[in-house]
Amino acid sequence: MGLYLPVGPQHPIHPEATLIKLKVEGEHVVDADIDASFVHRGIEKALERKTYVQGLFLAERICGICNVAHTTCYTLNVEGLAGIEVPQRALWLRLIVEELARVSSHLLWLGLLAHVVGFESLFMLAFRDREVVLDLMEEITGGRVTSGYNVIGGVRRDIDAATAYKIKSSLAKLKERVVKYRRLLEEDPIVRARTVGVGYLSPSEARELLAVGPVARASGIAYDIRVNDPYLVHEEVPFNPVVYDTCDAWGRAMVRVGEILESIEMIVYALDHAPSGEIRARVPPIFRPPPGENVTRVEAPRGELLHYVRSDGSEKPYRYKVRTPTLANLPAAISMLKSRGDRVVHIADVPVIFGSIDPCICCTARVLVVNEKGAAKEFQLDELAAKRWAR
Amino acid sequence: MALVFDVITNLFRKRATVLYPEERKEEPGTFRGVLGFERSLCIGCGLCWRVCPASAIEASRDEKGARPVFHLDRCIYCYLCVEVCPRKAIKASSRRAPAVEDKRKLEVS
Amino acid sequence: MIAEALRAFVYPGIAYMVALALLLEWLDRKIVARLQNRVGPYYAGPHGLLQPLADLIKLLAKEDVVPLGADGILFTLSPIAAFVVVTVAAAFVPLASTSGLVSAEGDAVAVLALITIYLLLVYTAGAASPSRYSQVGAVRAAHMLLGFEIPLMLSCLGVLASAGSFRLSELAARGSVRVFGLHAVGFAIFLIAAQAELERLPFDIPEAEQEIVSGWLVEYSSWRLALFRLARDIELLLLSGLAVTLFLGGPVGPSPPGAEPLLYPLYFIAKAALIVFLFSLVRASTARIRLDQFVTFCWRYLVPTSFAYFALAVLVA
Repeated sequence: MGLYLPVGPQHPIHPEATLIKLKVEGEHVVDADIDASFVHRGIEKALERKTYVQGLFLAERICGICNVAHTTCYTLNVEGLAGIEVPQRALWLRLIVEELARVSSHLLWLGLLAHVVGFESLFMLAFRDREVVLDLMEEITGGRVTSGYNVIGGVRRDIDAATAYKIKSSLAKLKERVVKYRRLLEEDPIVRARTVGVGYLSPSEARELLAVGPVARASGIAYDIRVNDPYLVHEEVPFNPVVYDTCDAWGRAMVRVGEILESIEMIVYALDHAPSGEIRARVPPIFRPPPGENVTRVEAPRGELLHYVRSDGSEKPYRYKVRTPTLANLPAAISMLKSRGDRVVHIADVPVIFGSIDPCICCTARVLVVNEKGAAKEFQLDELAAKRWAR
Repeated sequence: MALVFDVITNLFRKRATVLYPEERKEEPGTFRGVLGFERSLCIGCGLCWRVCPASAIEASRDEKGARPVFHLDRCIYCYLCVEVCPRKAIKASSRRAPAVEDKRKLEVS
Repeated sequence: MIAEALRAFVYPGIAYMVALALLLEWLDRKIVARLQNRVGPYYAGPHGLLQPLADLIKLLAKEDVVPLGADGILFTLSPIAAFVVVTVAAAFVPLASTSGLVSAEGDAVAVLALITIYLLLVYTAGAASPSRYSQVGAVRAAHMLLGFEIPLMLSCLGVLASAGSFRLSELAARGSVRVFGLHAVGFAIFLIAAQAELERLPFDIPEAEQEIVSGWLVEYSSWRLALFRLARDIELLLLSGLAVTLFLGGPVGPSPPGAEPLLYPLYFIAKAALIVFLFSLVRASTARIRLDQFVTFCWRYLVPTSFAYFALAVLVA
């Protein structure tokens, strides 16, 4: 019974190589599984062959969109391992750029949402408005996408008063538009019809399947690394985590749009309140941290990002491990894709559901655990933790 | 349908598209662009090719000693070499790398 | 003889129809692009006017692929038949003067029948492909037909009944505009159903790119795809032409005596452009709805309204 309908590894909704195996009966999805193991890039192994300073630029390229989150995590991780003291202002600047990257990522995702529900215009407009952020990124960091801004010991460039003014005025304009898009998500009948109640993930399930980031926060779990485990100067910058308890794709959209607005507030506050001073501690291009290990967690745009490093005292890491947020959200996505009881999943809902976790497979496929067929859908906390530390 | 008025106002707005080859956006000048190399300043210390994460810098030998050759096709524009150079012989610019048919045109030495 | 051949194949025959259809496609693309703050077609011809033609030529130059497992005869016949069906239907519609290329008593019914046949061809086209996406798309197209066909027919029949004629040319010759009062309802129903027929946003469910790639169209390439795209364009011309004839008074407008052959085509293009603008506006401001939502919407609102409209139109007339 039922037709096997593959979505991927080449499919318009996600050009990244992942395969969603659907079993459909008519328009209804009865069973689903995800295979994300098409592009194993071996980055973790490659990181073991680079010095700590060189590895930064490889870590940056784990993911294009959340490259700032990866460099933030990498630098904090290595600095913690080697005991490098970072100047205060650098932490503030890192926060500004990280939040700017979050705005860029969430705008991209807003375009993705519009794309998966077939909303051409919103897709175009979201990408048009993302350009504002990319221009700011270019001006601040020197790169539109791969910023290369965070370095071990601090940041590369300072933000002067003129740039700060420009950032504020650009973001003020952007904010107006994002408020408009939020109203659109709240009011548009078709967008609501396509997202409300779609991709239901109950709070208990979200906890059980270890959902992170906006997916968890849309299921009513106020879990945000910036609050739970502040890593930059988040204690000093006021912000409210955006939490919705609608548990559906609409809630995830609202969380992300709300986070854009929060991030803009944070950037403006940080620009006004950042202390002056040094932005970079001197770090030699080749250094040897003492033997030991370190773990850092960062709230990437897609959720909790974890970097682990172990040093044997040489100039290269003995082991480097990355866990990206999409991997954590895949079990939740599989659970959402299955029809259960009255909650029927239509074929048309599949892109909406899969899009609502903001999938970034190129980060994920590097992780070995997904390769183990069948294990991917039944992760338990201790099981995942065991796998996480296994190698 | 909440977007109707917005899209209609777009009719009277200037297009957001940049017709790329014919017109170009004004660049802020902060872009990390192609590298320049001032050969006379180089002392051949070798830091740049040791630090390059993409192995884009190769050492070549001439009558004065070892000198770097920059393969911009492999360069990831991380600017580690610019930062590390003790004599500031490697120059930053905000020029974008041109598209070429022959990779050898992207060698800087 | 030559004059008749010219009339059938050049003006106002097939060549003119194709040119007009490509013009409307360009208009649609350009308007949607401007609504989205983009440029749209730009390079081919002035303001990209020749872009639809260039696309067609490009498709013709592509490799012709018949996928393994396809029903060869249906796979070849469907695009040809689709093109022929919509072209024949469009021949009844008065495009350039108050009379269509062909005209007969009851031709309005023939046009409506041909529109339905086109949709059946969409189903066979999808069913002839081996791809699963095509199968899902074909079934979706058939489901859609259940929803919007009755409103489409009834909104046309309401106008025809109140006009007391089933001859499109006669309606066009009268030149009476019927978009106010009761007929506003019929006009709205017709526009909604026409967009479902054309598979335009928000009703492009059978070929939803993000869900089933291109639905029933996914396996077609080269001249087959070109024919389907041309058929789609002529269908746009056909349905906007039908709307112009039924609701906007055909190509008739104020004109000094003797200038009608020159002015009437222009009036027709202007009126059709208005319809296309409405379509583009809808496309630029909506998202796609789901199949079940569409069918529910049709049977809960569209079908009852169209029955009420038809009954009232018959009673008033």
